[in-house]
Amino acid sequence: MPAPSTLLEAVAHLSAASGYEFDVSDDVVPGTQLYVVYTEAHDLPERYTLRQGALGFRAPGMYPDASPEDSFFIAPSTIKLVTPNPERNSTDLNRASATPGFLPSSILAGASVLVFSWHIWDRFSWRPRTHTLVDHYTHCVRRFEQPEHG
Amino acid sequence: MVEAQPVDRVLPVGHLRLEVQLACESQSWEAIGERLRLAAPNEACTFVLTRPSVGHSRATVLLGQPVWPEPGEVTPTPYSLDIKGDYISRVMDRAIDEGPLTGIALIHTHPATEFGAGRGVFSQRDDWYEDRLFPTLSLGRSHALFASIVLGSEPSDVDARVWWRTDQLWVQPAQTIRLVSKTLRFLETPHSTWADHADPDIMDRSTRLWGAEGRRRLQNLRIGVVGAGGTGSLVLASAAMMGIGKIRAWDPDVIQKTNLNRLLGATRDDVGKKKIEVLRDFAVKIATAKPFEFEAIDRIGTSAESLEQLKDCDVIFSCVDKLAPRVPLNDLAYAHLIPTLDMGSWIHEDGGRVDDFMTHAGLLAPGMPCARCTQKLSPGALKREAQGVQRDAERRAGYGLNLTSEGDEIEPSVLPLNLTGVGLAMLQFMQLVMQLTPRTPRNLTMRMPLWDLDESDLDALSDCGCVNDVGLGDACNIRPVVPDPVPPSP
Repeated sequence: MPAPSTLLEAVAHLSAASGYEFDVSDDVVPGTQLYVVYTEAHDLPERYTLRQGALGFRAPGMYPDASPEDSFFIAPSTIKLVTPNPERNSTDLNRASATPGFLPSSILAGASVLVFSWHIWDRFSWRPRTHTLVDHYTHCVRRFEQPEHG
Repeated sequence: MVEAQPVDRVLPVGHLRLEVQLACESQSWEAIGERLRLAAPNEACTFVLTRPSVGHSRATVLLGQPVWPEPGEVTPTPYSLDIKGDYISRVMDRAIDEGPLTGIALIHTHPATEFGAGRGVFSQRDDWYEDRLFPTLSLGRSHALFASIVLGSEPSDVDARVWWRTDQLWVQPAQTIRLVSKTLRFLETPHSTWADHADPDIMDRSTRLWGAEGRRRLQNLRIGVVGAGGTGSLVLASAAMMGIGKIRAWDPDVIQKTNLNRLLGATRDDVGKKKIEVLRDFAVKIATAKPFEFEAIDRIGTSAESLEQLKDCDVIFSCVDKLAPRVPLNDLAYAHLIPTLDMGSWIHEDGGRVDDFMTHAGLLAPGMPCARCTQKLSPGALKREAQGVQRDAERRAGYGLNLTSEGDEIEPSVLPLNLTGVGLAMLQFMQLVMQLTPRTPRNLTMRMPLWDLDESDLDALSDCGCVNDVGLGDACNIRPVVPDPVPPSP
């Protein structure tokens, strides 16, 4: 089932505001009513092994009455830190796990993606009449400014 | 209005819908009537902006903000009003600014004079004037509905009619004016089709509580019941036995064996039959209203077509078991001035042991906080529902845990809990329609294991649709919700 017009309009607005060409999946993620909002080429921090990758998140068909998921993903899932994080002595991105089954097969060939658990909407309540996907995206990419430990 | 003129043609009476009605938020209506009647013994008038609420068999003109005349824009006498062109132009400009669905209603009074009470019926002079006024007001506004109302000197003495434009201008008498807030009242015009119960003796015990007027109200109400499962079947049976004359109910499901422990009116023989048809047959058997009408619709109650049919109802019962369909039902209550009783039960089990359960019922109507404001319908809860088998995925995914939660997602449902919620809803319905007590409660929640009946103390949020979208009608974008069958997880 194609994404509802409200979500399509919100994604167009996000593309215009962010400068990235965001798209939305034609299908929901199997077993859910979630659509994937994503761009295939998004800048990534210098400390990552790739400087560009896919970036996206999942939003319900009931958007904006229902909030987007409090997480986002990047792909490919092989992205690591260029140098090991000294506190964890690891090149894995902190609290970002390779997650199969996060996307429908029509998006990035259903590849496993690195999902960041990102609890920003715990601190700010999603308000359907106030917040937009631009707010959500802005919150998500602020993760890149955070230290790689915690 | 202006000096008497000959009526040179009959009004262009047309047919917009089987029923036409006006509706207004109660306090606004009272305030307009009070201010206009202050001018007695002179006539008085005001224009009011309107929005349409066009349903399947009923069209309703929703009365909104008044645009009062400035000094000198209306010259009144006890028998006439001279409305200046400047006032009409100003009101038309306001309507244009508000959008293509905004119409205009003219409300004027027939006050008491030395000859006696003023009658709430249109005079020949009113006909003559309005037949000239409304072609101007409606020019180029074929998406809007227009109305005229005359108030007699008694508050319940009123007449009204609805004007609209296609290739020409049409008018149809309105049958009732619906006044909506924490309570629901109706003013009947001379064109009302309401009739009393045909066999009132059967209603004796309840008539002793709410009187013949209450019985008449129930007999003529049309309620919409969305969902005919564990709660909906109880609502349908209660409504039929209480003497409600018209029921329209939706449910697309067929009866399964697992429904029989809580589906009132269904038996083992009904397994495999359509729920709504079985419950219709049961309701017809137990109904006390006379005549009694039940429309069974085997479709989801929040599809686009169903939402249009819901606009024909005076009160809606939201008996759905998911959160998403509550969104349009919640919004309909405020935008279309159709009070909605929302109810639901929830049981939480942990490792096979029930540790928390509750049932709630709340009235959604102008002046009451909506389901969003009382946190019965939160963005987070809607998101969790949309996550389906991946509920709370964002909590798990970042830590490398399995995306799919365990269990089959089917929650427990039991009759006593549903009975309690429906009981609370039916009491609130009685309060809404009969005003049995001075106060209408907010959302009521029975919580277990505390055995605590809690009334919400949450207020409406100032930026919520339940404050800002009241009476917007078809100008408010209410999206249908037709849940897809959730595709199986891989």
